[in-house]
Amino acid sequence: MENYTKYRLKSSEELIQTLAGTDHIFVVACNKCFKEFTSVYEPECDEFTALAKAGGKNVTGAIRVDFLCNKTQTLGRLRDIVPAETENVFVISCGLGIQTVADIVQLPVFAASNSIPCRGHHGMALTPKTCDACAQCYLNVTGGICPVVDCTKSLLNGQCGGAKDGKCEADPTKDCAWEKIQQRLSKLGRLEEFRDHPVQLRDYSKVNSKLIRDYVHTIRKKRFEGYYGGVHPSERKEMSEHVQLVRFPEPDVVVIPLSMHAGKPSVPLVKEGEHVRVGQRIGEQAGFIGASIHSSVSGTVLAVEERRHPTLGPGVLSVVIQNDKLNTVDESVRPHGDIEGLSPEEIVEIVKDNGIVGMGGAGFPAYVKLQPGKPIDAVLLNGCECEPMLTADYKVLLHYADDVIYGLRAIMKAVSAPRGVIVIEDNKPDAIAMLQEKTKGYENIEVLAVRTKYPQGAEKMLIKKVLGRSVPSGGLPADAGAVVSNVSSSKAIADAIRLGFPPIERVVCVTGERVHSPGNFIVKVGTSVQEILDFCGGIVGDDVTVKLGGPMMGIPQTELDVPVIKATNGIIAYEADHTIAVECIKCGRCADVCPMELFPLYFAKYVETGNIQGLKEQNIMDCMECRCCEYICSSKIPLVTKIREGKAAVRGMK
Amino acid sequence: MKITELFDRGEFVVSAEVGPPKGIHIDGLIEEAKKYLGGITAVNVTDNQSSVMRLGSLAVCRQLLDAGLTPIYQLTCRDRNRIALQSDLLSAAMFGIENILCLTGDHTSLGDHPGAKPVFDLDSVSLLHTVCQLESGVDLGGNPLVGEPPKFAKGAVVSPCSDSIDAQLAKMERKVLAGCDYFQTQAVFEPEKFIAFMERARQFGKPVQLGIIIPKSAGMCRYMNNNVAGVHVPDDMLDELAADKERAKAGITGVEIAARVIRECRPYCQGIHIMALGWESKVPALLKQAGI
Amino acid sequence: MLITKLKSREDLQSLLPEKVFVLLCNGCKEVSFPEREIEELISEFLTADKVTGVLTTDYICNPENLSLRLKRRRAMIDEADGVLVFSCGVGVQTVSDLLEGRAVYAGCDTIRLPGFQGVTPLEYDCGQCGQCYLNLTGGICPVTACSKSLVNGQCGGAQNGRCEVDPNMECGWERIYRRLEAVGRLDAIKCPTQIRNFAIDANKSH
Repeated sequence: MENYTKYRLKSSEELIQTLAGTDHIFVVACNKCFKEFTSVYEPECDEFTALAKAGGKNVTGAIRVDFLCNKTQTLGRLRDIVPAETENVFVISCGLGIQTVADIVQLPVFAASNSIPCRGHHGMALTPKTCDACAQCYLNVTGGICPVVDCTKSLLNGQCGGAKDGKCEADPTKDCAWEKIQQRLSKLGRLEEFRDHPVQLRDYSKVNSKLIRDYVHTIRKKRFEGYYGGVHPSERKEMSEHVQLVRFPEPDVVVIPLSMHAGKPSVPLVKEGEHVRVGQRIGEQAGFIGASIHSSVSGTVLAVEERRHPTLGPGVLSVVIQNDKLNTVDESVRPHGDIEGLSPEEIVEIVKDNGIVGMGGAGFPAYVKLQPGKPIDAVLLNGCECEPMLTADYKVLLHYADDVIYGLRAIMKAVSAPRGVIVIEDNKPDAIAMLQEKTKGYENIEVLAVRTKYPQGAEKMLIKKVLGRSVPSGGLPADAGAVVSNVSSSKAIADAIRLGFPPIERVVCVTGERVHSPGNFIVKVGTSVQEILDFCGGIVGDDVTVKLGGPMMGIPQTELDVPVIKATNGIIAYEADHTIAVECIKCGRCADVCPMELFPLYFAKYVETGNIQGLKEQNIMDCMECRCCEYICSSKIPLVTKIREGKAAVRGMK
Repeated sequence: MKITELFDRGEFVVSAEVGPPKGIHIDGLIEEAKKYLGGITAVNVTDNQSSVMRLGSLAVCRQLLDAGLTPIYQLTCRDRNRIALQSDLLSAAMFGIENILCLTGDHTSLGDHPGAKPVFDLDSVSLLHTVCQLESGVDLGGNPLVGEPPKFAKGAVVSPCSDSIDAQLAKMERKVLAGCDYFQTQAVFEPEKFIAFMERARQFGKPVQLGIIIPKSAGMCRYMNNNVAGVHVPDDMLDELAADKERAKAGITGVEIAARVIRECRPYCQGIHIMALGWESKVPALLKQAGI
Repeated sequence: MLITKLKSREDLQSLLPEKVFVLLCNGCKEVSFPEREIEELISEFLTADKVTGVLTTDYICNPENLSLRLKRRRAMIDEADGVLVFSCGVGVQTVSDLLEGRAVYAGCDTIRLPGFQGVTPLEYDCGQCGQCYLNLTGGICPVTACSKSLVNGQCGGAQNGRCEVDPNMECGWERIYRRLEAVGRLDAIKCPTQIRNFAIDANKSH
């Protein structure tokens, strides 16, 4: 494959000349891009440093940086690293990196390298440079061979007189582009079409600086809005966003796993043959990080046995219940009064008793969050639903706005927060309007509309976006003075306080191009995914990917006989994409989109080479597996899988 | 005749400029030049001014020479690469044209062929350097010229009233280092700015011709203020022009203003360069009023 | 970074064959790709019976993955008289190469943004001229920061420190001067006259 490294060192003579008036030199070298990521080491930094030292120069230090032109990352890496005695900075990079450094450091910056001249641009793969971005594509005239790049004179109207034996006059090793075009057109039977085309004239005004600048401005604004990185996948919410929320028919049988949360599985409290009621506790919390489990139906326990779990796979102890469809409610289910009458401790206790967990997907026990042990400035309610396709939280906001606000008030009371913010992405204007209207009476609650960007709903991103604070590496939201909760969890807290109901049902969105009739349903926990998909008319066609959750962070399902759990916000089905992973080409896009400002390419590389120390140095444990890197990876490397392997290896080391 | 000879003799050098038409008939232009500009030292011929395609500067220079005037051949780097520029310089020398003015040129996007390729293979500084190369008998590629090399009086421009005065002076210095013999300036309406500029430009030791435009109306001046880089007509002059429209229209006010500027700046410069913009007929009156 | 702009409706109409297979690249993702406009255009121009299939996918410049994706749509492609590709020029040519012997049409024009492929568009650019001038200009590139790519200083066109070509753009040489002054390197202005080298470089990148 080609190597599209963008720079090489200037000649020794020129470097010696440039070094002449300088001393106390700090060296910054870019680790190169657009070459196969076969080695981490690049030699130019040492070569130049040796040259400077040989010339009697004091080299105060040197650093090798990835993607030097990534200003955010480079700023971080150069911070506090240039020694005070430094007088000049020499940069080994293409022009982008040199300009980035010159922008950052307040010292004279010198270029120790030249860019490598090129003609035309390559794509996001190491394929030939075939496009000149002339803004007036001629490929329709030439049968798909670019005359601007391929012809040395960029001729548009046919071959010049200089071609000899089919080779270019300026470079006899190169085939004449117009010879190739002639052959291609002849093969396609398009020669007449070519003959009859009007005379082609280049229009150099088409490369419009204003258009480009405006666009750069917009995209940079988007990229850095609220927090670094993130992506904007196609939203595809139109399939289900206008479908009415309805109650899903009572299932005949529910399978309720004893593990629907982070932490230890619960201990079963019922046995085969026992009768249970709606809201009855059937699993006892085990350990501090854990949650109780409740029955979503009334009926008879068919078995307490290992079943397939949607996120944990086969072999998860579950309570299987035959639904008598009478919905007899357990006597433990009773209202707890109003927020005003409850102490913060009582609220925490209710949340704990009812086994409420993060319903946005993570399943972290909510009562733990409600005891932050630190002063909290704000409770952020995540109604972003930044995952493409999903419309479950949207429906919760529209149908249960009062409950959502009630739950927020309860959380605020529990953690003594003076401020509550409901954050909703601007693709849900009706929900924003409704919540704004309904929160009018509460001075300490505001609704914040934010521009869509994935993964906005992630705790750390939300805190950065709303409060402008960073959660420290390895820290929790409370370290930044915040508690973050999902809107569905907030509704669950309201249900627990006002009605006494634990989270035994939830809103599930069923969508995707391959679902026959997408919809939004209130579904009992334990209902089979297969049953729900059948109710929606089944899956259309073959070669379909089914995920629980959204397309970004959802868990792919190979078998559909798995239950809906507390954290299941969506069931999606779309056409499978089959790709093969190719070698990383250091395009830098993963580093460009990683909201945690990490370098995911190193995770894949170091997992392959078993470099656990390297994984730690690259802060692999900070990764929250949002999948932005994998989504953007042009080499189709399964980065998240690699990262999970890497994390396991790091944990194993401890 | 090279105008540098006049500068060397300490003469106050007056030049004016003409713009070739978009067409091939220049009898009128030559007649006007003979009639009104005959008394001055030299006549600049613009090179596709403002990136608007016109008759070539070189051809018009030749005609002026034949008519007994001293042309200054303006060359811009916008439309020709280094091969064409050097070739045209040789052609000019062959015709007996001895004065040149080297400019970068306006960008193509500003003219009447916005889709044209902007060349800028060389710029004003490297063009001056190239001329020096040719004068030394070698072209820019390092190849010897056959026979006696050409010799030119090499001019360039500078904007003394520019808002980027530091960058302008830096560029002026580079032009001097590249071999520039004399400078013509962008139009000046603010003598104090020009004088301040000359305080700093004097160190280069090159003659400077003050640029002069005869203001035709307040509207024209406002247009220049908004659209022409390095030109600023102060408010009191605008008021002066607006006060009596008929007088301004007849050119009386404009000539008065221009003459005043010349008189104030004269002690600080070595000549003037008049951009008459169609008012070639007013030039004799202007010179008279300015006392030249 | 390359971005695409849809060709005019007239241009597109004139080149459409009888039956087409449509290939849309949603490209390098985080940069402009006129996805909605293209969908509208297809529904406007092409009745369902004229379209044999549509594939929206990413990075069609990657031949390995593109061929995998096209393989599964071979029948639709065979049924069509031509393939209409909405992507940058690299993508169109990758398709042309993979489907040799088949008429491939480009639905977009390609524009380049400052910065290389994969890089978030930057506010400054590298023109890969091969003779870095940044030593002389305090780290601001005159080739890309000046509309005329002048390497010897400011032209006379700057007005209020803005470029004559685009009044919203700051004059590159104005910035260079300021930067040199700030880092105490104004002496760099006294360097020899710079002349660019446009020679075809034997060592150039492909």
